Amino acid sequence: MIRLLLAAACAALLAGPAAAADKVVLMLNWYVYGEHAPFYYGKEKGIFAAEGIDLDIQEGRGSGVTTQAVAAKTAHFGYVDVPTMMRAAVKGAPVVATGVLLQTTPMAAMGFVEKNIRKPEDIKGKIVATTPGDSMSQMWPLFQKKTGLKESDFKTVSGDATTKLNAVINGQADVLLGYVMDQSMKIKDATGKDVYPIKFSDYGVILVSSGLITPTDLVKSNPDLVRRMMAASTKSVLAAVKDVKGAAQSILNANPKGGKIETLTEGFELTIPLYKDPTGQSKQPFLVSEQNMADTVAMMVEYGGLDPVAKGNVKSFYTNDYLPKDMPF
Amino acid sequence: MGPSNDRLQQRLAWLRPLILLVLLVVGWDLAIRLFRIPPYQIPAPADVVATLWEEWPMLLSQAAPTTLATIEGFLLSAAFGIPVAMLIAGSRTVESYLYPLLVFSQSIPKIAIAPLFVVWFGFGALPKVLSAFLLGFFPVVVSAVQGFKSVEPDMLDLARAMEASRLQIFRMVSFPHALPAIFSGLKVSITLAVVGAVVGEFVGSNSGIGFVLQRSIGSFELPTMFAALVVLAMIGVTLFWILDVIERWAIPWHASQRQDFIVAA
Repeated sequence: MIRLLLAAACAALLAGPAAAADKVVLMLNWYVYGEHAPFYYGKEKGIFAAEGIDLDIQEGRGSGVTTQAVAAKTAHFGYVDVPTMMRAAVKGAPVVATGVLLQTTPMAAMGFVEKNIRKPEDIKGKIVATTPGDSMSQMWPLFQKKTGLKESDFKTVSGDATTKLNAVINGQADVLLGYVMDQSMKIKDATGKDVYPIKFSDYGVILVSSGLITPTDLVKSNPDLVRRMMAASTKSVLAAVKDVKGAAQSILNANPKGGKIETLTEGFELTIPLYKDPTGQSKQPFLVSEQNMADTVAMMVEYGGLDPVAKGNVKSFYTNDYLPKDMPF
Repeated sequence: MGPSNDRLQQRLAWLRPLILLVLLVVGWDLAIRLFRIPPYQIPAPADVVATLWEEWPMLLSQAAPTTLATIEGFLLSAAFGIPVAMLIAGSRTVESYLYPLLVFSQSIPKIAIAPLFVVWFGFGALPKVLSAFLLGFFPVVVSAVQGFKSVEPDMLDLARAMEASRLQIFRMVSFPHALPAIFSGLKVSITLAVVGAVVGEFVGSNSGIGFVLQRSIGSFELPTMFAALVVLAMIGVTLFWILDVIERWAIPWHASQRQDFIVAA
């Protein structure tokens, strides 16, 4: 019943007068941080409006929740961890990625620089803070396998996202599993101290990360809207990369409480290298290679609890068909 | 309707909630089929039952720390709640200072401060116990204050006239009179303590039902999540029932415990 009502509400939303801009709700993966700069920048600079899109950016509470919201059509688009979306999709959620922005995983184990934990061996004998069930905790065994760490080499403490941060800040844990441009900046905001990330991607963990997802229905019923959304998003990324400070500032312009300008800027700077895949082959924002997606699915099947049938239909998870032509980095 | 028939009805009383439960589960299943609710939004009852069956050993072992934290938190609520209520009911001064602050503190959402418990007390059992205590404390105080205050003044006068000491008055008049109200507060408290323990586990814990809930939500394992919720409800019901038995034993004379007599009359 709720679903029917939601569907009706969405249909009503989408069927606005033709002349007016289409109202599009984009739900982020999490509360705002530096990684989200391009969307705020594009909205501020009128890049979405130029494509006839009235963009409403909403903060999220985790990629899983946002994926469910998009599947239920509460939001037109979601900016989520694509591997997380895959797990929902194999369970029947009707969603598809229309572009993968982060083509190298931002996952990392990080602790204060002063703790001098700079390579996987340094984690031995230390305390690691994780959130059970999140994407990092699922890839953590893979990282261990790639680096020769064993579960018995360190101690684990678990808690929610806030607890994980608090644990490192207050010294109850030495490192946490997080994103290089997210938690590291939050810790720096809180303590003023620098954080050193041991990046999963440096140790052979090949996995895509954040991308734009949308209900499969919408792709079929309104391909034009999807095309305009991807064009505006691509242009926004390209423009934001050229004006890193301005892009970070646009987050604050939209959310005065969105953080500190220095760490938002640094967070966005740390995000930009992740737009390209580990081989550096990526040519255009959101345009992901088949190999990268296949590798991601393979890793997810082995470690992320993804149903093995997924290996056979990698292409059902994403499409590059709605991306603009010739907008290279 | 003979007395034996009444007794039979009484003996089958436990069946009634079970019948309602079955009806609710059937309704749940029908709703899923009728409205075609996909399993990633709400799981089917059959899947939940299957998961409950398969994961039972894991759920049971995770239920242990949650139950322990609940009981410890509850005992703390009782141990602090009843004396505080005695103070409040016994002295207008204490009441005027303490009671408003207590109500004020109760309006603070515990979930908002629960993460801080982990910061202050680490990842052990203490944050869970404290959060169970905080949720369970208030109902005990409110009910017990009500209970102590509703002792008939005539009874107190009588006791004083018979030169009973303060302790004797408390032991023979005030406390027994307040017990029914205290028990109703304790019963509310124990169900809230379960919630408190899970909140504590949610924000930071390496084990327990809250841990299972968080892990299963993260990986879209909705049947596991619902199975964990069922286990949680079972913990609540069992603890409530134990308290009910203790109540029957402690205040057999009270009107609420005299159903047998009323039915037979």
